Amino acid sequence: MNDRQLDVLVICGSLRRGSYNAALARSLPALAPPGFALRAAPSFEKFPIYNLDLQNSSGFPTEVNAWADAIRAADALIIVSPEYNWSIPGGLKNAIDWASRMKEQPFKDKPVALQSVAPGILGGSRSQYHLRQSLTSVDTILFGRPEVIIANAAQKFDEKTLALKDQTAIDLIKQQLAAFEKFIRRVSAKV
Amino acid sequence: MATLNVISICGSLRKGSYNAMVQRLLPSLAPEGMKVMPAPSFAEFPLYNADIQNSTGFPAPVNTLADAIRSADGVIFCSPEYNFTIPGGLKNAIDWVSRLPNQPFAGKPIALLSASQGPLGGGRVQYDLRRAMVFLDAFTLNKPEVFIGAAAAKFDEKTGELKDETARSLIKQQLAAFATFIARVAPKS
Repeated sequence: MNDRQLDVLVICGSLRRGSYNAALARSLPALAPPGFALRAAPSFEKFPIYNLDLQNSSGFPTEVNAWADAIRAADALIIVSPEYNWSIPGGLKNAIDWASRMKEQPFKDKPVALQSVAPGILGGSRSQYHLRQSLTSVDTILFGRPEVIIANAAQKFDEKTLALKDQTAIDLIKQQLAAFEKFIRRVSAKV
Repeated sequence: MATLNVISICGSLRKGSYNAMVQRLLPSLAPEGMKVMPAPSFAEFPLYNADIQNSTGFPAPVNTLADAIRSADGVIFCSPEYNFTIPGGLKNAIDWVSRLPNQPFAGKPIALLSASQGPLGGGRVQYDLRRAMVFLDAFTLNKPEVFIGAAAAKFDEKTGELKDETARSLIKQQLAAFATFIARVAPKS
């Protein structure tokens, strides 16, 4: 564990193509330490709205199983998400709700780091604190600081390519990812 | 005074939901002059994606729910708590509705109830709904709060009847307070 490369799964909370958070997620591989191999999680776009009756009658949908397996296989997660109506986007929360009901619950003991970007001045921080609250219920191990909260998104990404161009944000993300690598190696089950 | 037309939104989709049981009870516990009807379902909403909104517009079931909210005098949420906060499906419904022009929750009186099997009765989901409702400029009723903990002991599983007299009385008080609240915050004509 202490020298091998870490398999880190990136989950984006927005489904739209031009999403700043998706753009942020795409910027991570270039900013990650050599000890990280980052990959994007399968989409939760096709998950039905959670309903216990559905789970009991036809089991967990294929897409939910694929998402959960990707989480289980990863050493850690990075959730990059916008804030909708001062909280977690419903689609992302719905995905967490499905996965939380599974046996061998995928989030259990999983190290998680959070990032958010928003056009406004608070940078999606309220969504992050709600995620902290909800991820506590599924027994993740949450990374603390530095927090990556990127406000005023329109000024920080290239309008056409959506490349992250703000040096302060770039440096902060690098710091977070480097600290997250140490955190993962520290809290993971010793093998 | 004219009849108050209130709609109720249940945060759970499962048939045997305790919150659906609470929702079904509301008409019988509402004060005279308040009519409570279940809102159209959000079960068929896609997950929110601005690209869908921009390419094909708002899905028909979203418009149906939004219209029901707009025309109601008040909205009552009966919701379970999933993973310490709002169920994703309910939050997704709120996210869709929030993007509409003539935003349906703006200025709308809201009351919250929750039932759960645990001891807290859904305390966290209510405060998180309150927070989202602030952003949406709704008027949320303060007290009395209705948290129905240990739900399995309080409902008759077969009939859905709420056997617990304390809880019944509390819901009655809340609905009466909600009627007063609606009258107070409604636009003066």
